[in-house]
Amino acid sequence: MSDAPATKARTAMASITFTPSGETIEVPLGTSLLDAVILCELDVPAPCAGQGRCGRCRVRVRAGDVERRSNAGLVSAEILDGWAVACQTYVTGSIEVEVPERRRETVRPHGHAIAEPESLPLTCDWRQDPAVRTFELDIEPPSLADNTSDFDRLRRALAQQHGIEEVRAELPMLRRLGKDLRMANWKVSVTLEMRDWVYDAYLPPRLIRIYPGAFRHASMGVAVDLGTTSVVAYLLDFATGRVVDSASAYNKQIACGDDVISRIIYAKRKRGLERLQHLAVETINDLLDELQKRNGIELYEIHEVTVAGNTTMTHLLLGLDPQYLRAEPYIPTISASPVLEAGELGLRANILAHVHVMPSVGSYVGGDITAGVISSGMFATDKLTLFIDIGTNGEMVLGTKDWLLSCACSAGPAFEGGGVGDGMRASPGAIEDVFIADDTLEPTFRTVDDAPAVGICGSGLIDLLGELFVTGLVDKSGHLDRSAPTDRVRVHDGVPEYVVCWAGEGGADHDIALTESDITGLIRAKAAIYAGFEVLCRSVGVDLADVEEILIGGAFGQYINIEKAIRIGLLPDQPVERFKFLGNTSAQGAYAALLCVNIRHDVLDVAAKMTYLELSADNSFMDEYTSALFLPHTDLSGFPSVLAALQKRGNGSDAPRATT
Amino acid sequence: MTAVEIPVEKWSGAVREVTLGSSYGGGTRTSTVTVGGETSLPFLGFEGALPHRPALAVEVVDMKPADWSPELVATWGDDLSDPANWAARAVEEGADLIALKLRSCHPDFGDRSATEARATVDRVLAAVGVPLIVYGPGTADKDNEVLVAVAEATKGEQLALGLCEEKNYRTIVAAALGNGHLVIAQTPIDVNLAKQLNILISDMRLPLERVLMDPNTGALGYGLEYTYSVMERLRLAALMGDAMTQQPMICTIGEESWRQKEGRAATDVPEAWGELAERGVAWEVTTAMTLLESGADILVLRHPGSVGVLREALDDLTKGA
Repeated sequence: MSDAPATKARTAMASITFTPSGETIEVPLGTSLLDAVILCELDVPAPCAGQGRCGRCRVRVRAGDVERRSNAGLVSAEILDGWAVACQTYVTGSIEVEVPERRRETVRPHGHAIAEPESLPLTCDWRQDPAVRTFELDIEPPSLADNTSDFDRLRRALAQQHGIEEVRAELPMLRRLGKDLRMANWKVSVTLEMRDWVYDAYLPPRLIRIYPGAFRHASMGVAVDLGTTSVVAYLLDFATGRVVDSASAYNKQIACGDDVISRIIYAKRKRGLERLQHLAVETINDLLDELQKRNGIELYEIHEVTVAGNTTMTHLLLGLDPQYLRAEPYIPTISASPVLEAGELGLRANILAHVHVMPSVGSYVGGDITAGVISSGMFATDKLTLFIDIGTNGEMVLGTKDWLLSCACSAGPAFEGGGVGDGMRASPGAIEDVFIADDTLEPTFRTVDDAPAVGICGSGLIDLLGELFVTGLVDKSGHLDRSAPTDRVRVHDGVPEYVVCWAGEGGADHDIALTESDITGLIRAKAAIYAGFEVLCRSVGVDLADVEEILIGGAFGQYINIEKAIRIGLLPDQPVERFKFLGNTSAQGAYAALLCVNIRHDVLDVAAKMTYLELSADNSFMDEYTSALFLPHTDLSGFPSVLAALQKRGNGSDAPRATT
Repeated sequence: MTAVEIPVEKWSGAVREVTLGSSYGGGTRTSTVTVGGETSLPFLGFEGALPHRPALAVEVVDMKPADWSPELVATWGDDLSDPANWAARAVEEGADLIALKLRSCHPDFGDRSATEARATVDRVLAAVGVPLIVYGPGTADKDNEVLVAVAEATKGEQLALGLCEEKNYRTIVAAALGNGHLVIAQTPIDVNLAKQLNILISDMRLPLERVLMDPNTGALGYGLEYTYSVMERLRLAALMGDAMTQQPMICTIGEESWRQKEGRAATDVPEAWGELAERGVAWEVTTAMTLLESGADILVLRHPGSVGVLREALDDLTKGA
């Protein structure tokens, strides 16, 4: 049959040659250039995941014809020059395509030092009950008179010398056991994982490592916060219980979409999920490499890993199809992950090291929040506490040790600098705090690392809007006052804007400005978050003012200026001492669970106990949202300090008169 | 027999009193209209004060409307071609005030100048003694131009200028502020949006005693329940003391009910629908009655027949109050 004529209709193919890489690929006609780029694993940004909205996946067609369905964001000169939006451009014949070199973003997500996890929950008793231990063994060599098997011999020695009655080992370990014991002349050190993720009476300690001679190798663990935007890894020494070092990087998946929704859309593409899974692993592996090199350890000395991430991130890390998270009724494939081995996931820790993924509560309340509730101590408090994690999604939990209620609102990427004309992440040169003078309406600002200003990051945006508002340059509905006596307020391309930094002053080649549409986006973002607070509180019949403690977690949270966040109505108008910044609670929770075996019970307990309120099924959310689409809020009585500030400055804001 | 005590609701808030028209300080009106002041839900005189009965306005357009129901065209006849005559007749038919629409200033319907608009307003002011509501043509730029000119020319008349919306409120509020007029704040059927616009207007220091709110109205069969519920919520909030919802409400009932099929179709309708003349008025009156019950303070009507019916109904409802 091998010489059967090829009569079957075959899809017509065309070849694409990419420059400068020189790679050539055959694809069916009608394939989008973005798909082709992905198949070749070339690096083209796709923040909107190929929906044709952002126009950032630019490539240049150097030879051949293509079908352009949209030229979003390109000007005609660029189109003539061959530039095309990859996701909206389709192959109609053989072509040559140039993929521009990408300007790399700085590796560190924050110009600030990364806070170390400081405190462990009080209940942690890792010294009595360590997760991983190493024992030295002097095993009696076998003889014709004592023909016990190698593994039973090791077990016997463990029981006799250390009182460990039972031990188990997996096949990869057993395969090398005979040789390892003999090469070491029966004097070895063995590393045992003492407990599985939670204590299980039926599961004895597990042998994860064996090496010749006395105890000398480190025994390390890694706690990872797998964020949508940035990823942080903490290196933990099991011998001391201390964090030795930490490393952070941008999530490499950013190339496939800025937010979780874009990534879920990207996962639908051919090999999209595979690529996302690979990029998540690669991001973590790079951090492991960095930690290993800097601390003089070996990767196989990493004996356990915990990962906290939102539900989408953990699905992508495990290669689980995230599509059902996005469509009603928003169902994740799993809440609690099975215990995985680093090897099967592709993580470059010890291949037998267990990887524990923190359990999630719902599609949009993930393991990062479970971890946060643990590390913040909220799960053990008597006080009525509101825990919030502000980022692309605003996740929040209300409760005490007896009950927990959570929800998530989509704030969009505005607070991470996305979707705002001159928005950026908090990397060097990002304007992070702003002050506007009452009289001159001139701004003064500070940038991350004091580098020349190139854009505005989330905390800067909150600051700037707060200042514009309180100086009266922006009214309560977010409109700029075009009659203001300053040339910084102007109409540019038909859109009113306020210029924070003129082109010559900073490091950007254009004026850095906040436009009225940026302001609308920010107001929507803050309204979604605040509406979430209100709905959570109302659904259990408490007032926001009754909340005794407001804990702010998440990587972004620690940079928020509370006073200004209150001013724009992002945070409730409560005394400043009720707010507590906790830093990266997700990473801290992963660290606590890594070190403290008993805390893992609490993690599972919290995840199971937490009630998840689906806001899309809640009628009052839209109402609360519209009410919050105002500066600071339609219900001004909830913001007495803002009202006072406005009156003090005399910016046209009469307090609503008391009624009869 | 035990006497049953009727429960009486006590409210802490009150609707603001708003007066249209003035006879001094530049004003030439022979009558004024005051609405608002309620301290109870509509027509529950045993619970609180209802110092002013709702007012009936009749809509007058500054050009013969091309798209009006044949019933309205037949009723008003030649008066439709002259806003001054039309207004005078409306007052004879019982209108408490006139709502004049400067439609001919719209770029698509004649694009008349602000000067022409001022002349029209002057003529109507001369023809009637009742207060005036003046609506711009309904496009932001032209509204600003026309209403500012009218406001300046009629300083002291205490007109109600409309429409003030979230996007263009500044100019109109400033014009009202400088010339002693009122504004009508319109928002799309939402409690929060209504409240927000009141706050924005108040931030410009226009006293809230000079603000009417138009929560946007639907006609019977066309979203009336939704309007009803939003207006009811606004009124409840006002009575509970929410200062930014305490504006009297104005509803453009004629415009809504007469543009629906029930107010226009004379032929090709089921027999049970009856005659257009009767049906159209019934539609307008039913819409009006419903919104009166949810707190409307000024009704803008189109048919003189409706004015008569509603006046009678209001007499009944406010008897003894």
